[in-house]
Amino acid sequence: MSRDSENGAPGIQGIRMSGIVKVYPPDVLALDNVDIMIRWGTIHSIIGENGAGKSTLMKVLYGITPASAGRIFLDGRQVRFASPRQAVREGIGMVHQELMLIRSYTVWENVVVGSEPAAPLGTLKQAEARARVEELVTRWGLNLDPDAVVGDLSVSAQQKVEILKLLYRDASVLIMDEPTAVLTPQETSELFARLRQLNQAGGTIIFISHKLQEVLDISDEITVMRKGKRVMTAANEGLSRTDLARAMVGRDVVFAVGRQRSEPSGRGGTVDVGMKPRDAGSPAARGDERPHAARPALEVRGLSFTRPGAVKPALSDVSFDVSRGEILGVAGVEGNGQFELVQCITGALKPDAGSIRMDGRDVTGASVMERRRLMCSVPQDRKHTGSAQTMSITDNAIMAHHRLRPSLSARWRALLDPRACRGFCVDLMRRYSVVAPGPDAALAQLSGGNQQKVIVGREFSHDTGFVLLDNPTRGLDVGSIEFIHRQILNKRSGGAGCLLVSADLDELLALCDRILVMYEGRVAALLDGETADREAVGRAMLGLELSPEPGPGPGSEPEPEAGAEPRTEVGSE
Amino acid sequence: MRRQQAVAAAVGVVVSLLAGLMILWLQGYPAAQSYSALFSYSLFSQFALFSTLNKASTLVLTGTSAAVGFGSNCINLGQVGQFLMGAMAAAAFGIAVGLPKWLTLPLVILASIVAGAGWSLLAALMKLKWRMNEFITTLMLNFVADYFTQWLISGPMLDPRAYSPMTRMTNPQAWLGMYNGLSGSVAVAACSFAVTWLVWNRSKFGYECRVMGQNPSFAAAGGCAVPRNFVLAMLLSGALAGLAGGLMVIGGMQHRFVKGIGANYAWDGVMIAIVAGNSIAATGLYALFFAVLQTGAMGMELETAVPSEFALVLQAIVVLAVVASRESTRLFLAGLAARIRARRAIALGDARAAQAAQLAQRAEADHAAPTGGGQDEPRA
Repeated sequence: MSRDSENGAPGIQGIRMSGIVKVYPPDVLALDNVDIMIRWGTIHSIIGENGAGKSTLMKVLYGITPASAGRIFLDGRQVRFASPRQAVREGIGMVHQELMLIRSYTVWENVVVGSEPAAPLGTLKQAEARARVEELVTRWGLNLDPDAVVGDLSVSAQQKVEILKLLYRDASVLIMDEPTAVLTPQETSELFARLRQLNQAGGTIIFISHKLQEVLDISDEITVMRKGKRVMTAANEGLSRTDLARAMVGRDVVFAVGRQRSEPSGRGGTVDVGMKPRDAGSPAARGDERPHAARPALEVRGLSFTRPGAVKPALSDVSFDVSRGEILGVAGVEGNGQFELVQCITGALKPDAGSIRMDGRDVTGASVMERRRLMCSVPQDRKHTGSAQTMSITDNAIMAHHRLRPSLSARWRALLDPRACRGFCVDLMRRYSVVAPGPDAALAQLSGGNQQKVIVGREFSHDTGFVLLDNPTRGLDVGSIEFIHRQILNKRSGGAGCLLVSADLDELLALCDRILVMYEGRVAALLDGETADREAVGRAMLGLELSPEPGPGPGSEPEPEAGAEPRTEVGSE
Repeated sequence: MRRQQAVAAAVGVVVSLLAGLMILWLQGYPAAQSYSALFSYSLFSQFALFSTLNKASTLVLTGTSAAVGFGSNCINLGQVGQFLMGAMAAAAFGIAVGLPKWLTLPLVILASIVAGAGWSLLAALMKLKWRMNEFITTLMLNFVADYFTQWLISGPMLDPRAYSPMTRMTNPQAWLGMYNGLSGSVAVAACSFAVTWLVWNRSKFGYECRVMGQNPSFAAAGGCAVPRNFVLAMLLSGALAGLAGGLMVIGGMQHRFVKGIGANYAWDGVMIAIVAGNSIAATGLYALFFAVLQTGAMGMELETAVPSEFALVLQAIVVLAVVASRESTRLFLAGLAARIRARRAIALGDARAAQAAQLAQRAEADHAAPTGGGQDEPRA
């Protein structure tokens, strides 16, 4: 009884979700008795770490996922959506994180598909449909060509098509699921302007994010979720990022990550190498007087690669060094050559031209296993290249070690010693604080963060001078991110050279000594990690020329962590 | 995980045996009597047990052949052809070679292994050279092997004294011999089963194959030589099928290659590997179980006139029931756990809400109620 009465006075108009429980089989409690009130005409943000349940809550509202328990009311009238179609009929629309468009169709075709105006006999009233789309584009100033083919559009333009789809269906409530994850900072501010415009026209917007500054920039009300529970809802007045971060994480996070970086002791050894521009009071020290002992961990020269059948090269003439004791970040909008770069370095792709040297040794034509002696690699895709989900933790932990680590062999070298393998795994789980039933449990039973700890632990147990990290924290919770960042910094202070490819600008800004920005397969910029800010990196990512003055753009802050996540925020307290 | 699988398998086997009982009963056969014949003619006498083991020795080899292939992501469906080529090689060497027994036997066994492995190597090379799917090529090579051996036994190698297509009898030096009705091939099969288990579960190569079977891109990223392992796994799979064929010639009663020698052993092996989920140990168990059904069915035919083809029906039900119950048990248990978890969460939530309401009432006495719901933390 109390479940219904506790939330919101009956007079308030809007969407009320009450007592929502969702358990994903077998026993993942994704939503734990969530009550939430979203008032018409507001921009309501829902924030939380990955896995806090924000997306699940919205999927329940939108009729994608059935809830285990709970009720939904629109203006006090109980509704039940068995499918998104029914939600759309009530004026609720959702833009998913992964855009769901037909790439070979034009903009207007994508917009009308599924609710086409049909003439008798089921033929499509093409002219009418196109005109309606064009009218919407002009009315909302969306700056889209209705006849453009969607596959040719940028990601942000495709997102606009998704929004257009909902406007076409007269949606008055827009659910935006992490819309900024795929956008550059400039594109983000454009999106925000658009959302505000829609809101002023009376639309209700539910904005899902885990980026605090964005949420503070745009919201009227903010709901914080943590571990499937709604932790707080408050009007966006006088809230700071610290408040939100604390509510999200549930404690004061002291992020050593941000600190250690500025401490000279943490990187004392590396300063001597003289590779970082900012250390170089003497720029001459930068390459000329490099000590022989400190050969670069990785040297890439003139790397070029074109996919068979592709017109544009995926990589053209990419050259850079990663020196020991340095973290070099690679930024760029997805699809600008980072993927191919990583593949060339791991040996999965053979470059058309150029050379790769690790620790001074030419590995351009070497096999993956030969490279494994010189490098370790945390892959981007945990499930597909980083692990075998159905196999035990031990089987996952010994990959590559099974050939390179003699202690795992039985007396007869073709055989493995099962006890030694198990012991290696137990030790790894202890050192990397993996929470698991035991070394024989299937990897799939672990949470994403613990799986990633197994993978990072496995790779970092290789004692190599070069470390390749491809989005090592994608999709993880803050606690695991913090842990993995610390491990990366440990590797660096241990003298390893790290190449960190990441789609998360905040991660790059927090960890990297230098940031290399890729644009259309080229090195667009090589920025100093200390002085670079989101604005500068963002401009390079878009292929714009770098302006000399670091003029702070709209909505940005002077500090590099502008729009940052809690870890950078709290670290500066 | 493993225990859950064992339970699912046991449930599947029991359910399928009960289903078989129902079928017999519905068709008007004396069901209970038939079943008791089924087991007494396969297990409960020395002769019965040995016949079962003889049959199992073949099934275990074709089964592990399929399990090794499927388990390393090589879809080798060419057990039929590899079996026939192995049997033919054993027959040819057994006829041609007249060395002392201790030399002849290993030579003949080796010949059957090489023939089976060579036949699968063709498919492996076609995959590497021209990216032809081994799933198709192995199947097609079955026909080639079938017609090739048929031509041999009805033409160049036909026994002139025989009335139907078969080769001459092999030299006695190439016979494994029978010991009170237990064929020597049981020992050979047991040895190769043990070796296969060791390679699969303990060796570095076996580890890489198992990873390749679950996720080839993980194996490649980890530095495993995936193309090389693919060829080796195909060779191992073919060798086991070839050995199964060879043992039919040197270990059976006929000591020659007769038409239809392969019977359904190869496809039974594929079925066994599927039921066993490509585990080598489970393949051994299911091979024994299938051998029990096939051997016992003969006895059942004698006793209660149930056609021995009923064994095929039972096998098919076992495959369906075990494979289905493996997945449905998991889903059912997961669904059940989810429902229990949800109920617990709701109860807890109610308790919390009641408590919060009480607190709020008490607080109202002092202050105006804060905005938001009852679960808000005071921090905000």
